[in-house]
Amino acid sequence: MAMNSTIGKWGRRRWIVLGIVILFLLCAKSLGLTPAGLVPPDETRWERAGAFFKAALSPAMDYQDENVPEDAPPIWFKGLYGLLLTLKFAFGGMSLAVPLALIMGFFGSSSWWPEPRGWFLDLFLRGIYFAFRFLMSLLRSIHELIWALLILSAFGLSPLAGMIALALPFSGTLGKVFSELIDEESRDAAAALKAIGHRPLQTFFVGTLPAALPNLITYSLYRFECALRSSAVLGFVGIETIGLYIELSHEEFYYNEVWTYFYLLLALIVLVDFWGAGVRARLNSHKGACEA
Amino acid sequence: MSSAFELNGVTCRFGDLVAIDKVSLSIAEGEQVAFIGPSGSGKTTLIRLLNTTAVPSDGSLSVLGYIIADQSVESLRVLRSRVGTMPQHLGLVENLTAIQNVILGRGGQRTTLRSIRDLIIPSRSDTEKIHQLLRRVGIEEKLFTMVSKLSGGQKQRVAIARALFQEPEILLADEPVSAVDPARARDSVRLLTELSGELGFTLCVSLHHLELAKEFFPRLIGLRQGRVVFDGAPDSLKDRELESLYELTADEMMADA
Repeated sequence: MAMNSTIGKWGRRRWIVLGIVILFLLCAKSLGLTPAGLVPPDETRWERAGAFFKAALSPAMDYQDENVPEDAPPIWFKGLYGLLLTLKFAFGGMSLAVPLALIMGFFGSSSWWPEPRGWFLDLFLRGIYFAFRFLMSLLRSIHELIWALLILSAFGLSPLAGMIALALPFSGTLGKVFSELIDEESRDAAAALKAIGHRPLQTFFVGTLPAALPNLITYSLYRFECALRSSAVLGFVGIETIGLYIELSHEEFYYNEVWTYFYLLLALIVLVDFWGAGVRARLNSHKGACEA
Repeated sequence: MSSAFELNGVTCRFGDLVAIDKVSLSIAEGEQVAFIGPSGSGKTTLIRLLNTTAVPSDGSLSVLGYIIADQSVESLRVLRSRVGTMPQHLGLVENLTAIQNVILGRGGQRTTLRSIRDLIIPSRSDTEKIHQLLRRVGIEEKLFTMVSKLSGGQKQRVAIARALFQEPEILLADEPVSAVDPARARDSVRLLTELSGELGFTLCVSLHHLELAKEFFPRLIGLRQGRVVFDGAPDSLKDRELESLYELTADEMMADA
């Protein structure tokens, strides 16, 4: 019996894998994808691709553009300045996104609802809950690049536009995860506080929220790393971050400059990654202890 | 003496399960009572009825002279702020410090804003009071230690200090020693009964540790399948009654298997 059901499962899995492969081939065919397309069409393309990857070995130590004035700061300085701008946008965007997410996460969670409650209050709270859940999924279903284009066309190219473009989708994602982290928090402490006369909102603010706080901070740090990458990418729509420098150098085929900026960005991301891991380890150190 | 609890034919059902079955009993203010009985006998439900987080399906219950069925949500909340509860799993906020957890004991008597402020900047008088309480329960050096860094016994003391800071008229404790070793269990039970004597609050504790209940409590109430099968002083508890309290019937053995 057991053997038969295992075989049955395998058979089903094989069909699913086959189905996926067929779907891929159909997509490839309808998009005009052929193995020949993987080969660059002419010699110049080959050369350009080669030049790009060869440049990885020799990132520019000086500007490739001969028109750069003599007294311009060195390229590494310009790169670092780009990183600083990237950091500023990421930090600014997150500073807007976190408070927004806390507010939306609160209304998108249910652990602060009073108990017992009449049908009217229940309906009202559920209405708020779903409205905020919908708002958060709306915000995060639009990518930050699309938000940037929308906001740039409305407000023009301003630093604030870049920050808002980051803050909106990030607040949607943060808020959704915040609300789930809050609702998943163990209800033991909340029940104990309720039993000694705490009000529902009081229980939330002094019990549930403090208990969930380390998780909220850990997740926000992770999202800050994501914001850093997104902030760099916003350069491609004209907002002044290191992404803009990469885009401009790339347009002029200054590949060595591109790689200089790439490496600087990579270094920053690795650095922030290490820092975040350190903070996470310290914040979550209590978890091991509490299980002992 | 006026009564802390007055139960008259109280029944509590959860769906088809009858957790408490027509229980009538009276506990006077200042009494020290242990609820004993096997797991599933209704001890926890009884505690939840007494702190009004569960409501009787039938019968009448009054706490400190208030008939529970007649109270509004708000007056029940105020009543709860006068009754301390130590739940079985203590219900501490693990990543707050000992003082922050203890200060929450008085939250039911304070506004929400005041409680939030208490967590961030506790008042000097509260800090001093809590320091004394922690000295009384033997962990004064842990005032600013995060609860998650404490041992099981120390956490239990934080929970006791939180209950004391509440200055309750009644203290309910659900299996307070289930998570600590026998020597500490004895110390904790002694501490609770001593404090009850010193401060004069009514103490009701559920214990599955029969020896401790007999040693420290002048009154034992035995529960079995939601009914009171014994109520009296430990020395009047006969072996036969004990056996009937813990012995499994043939049906229950089948259910366990």
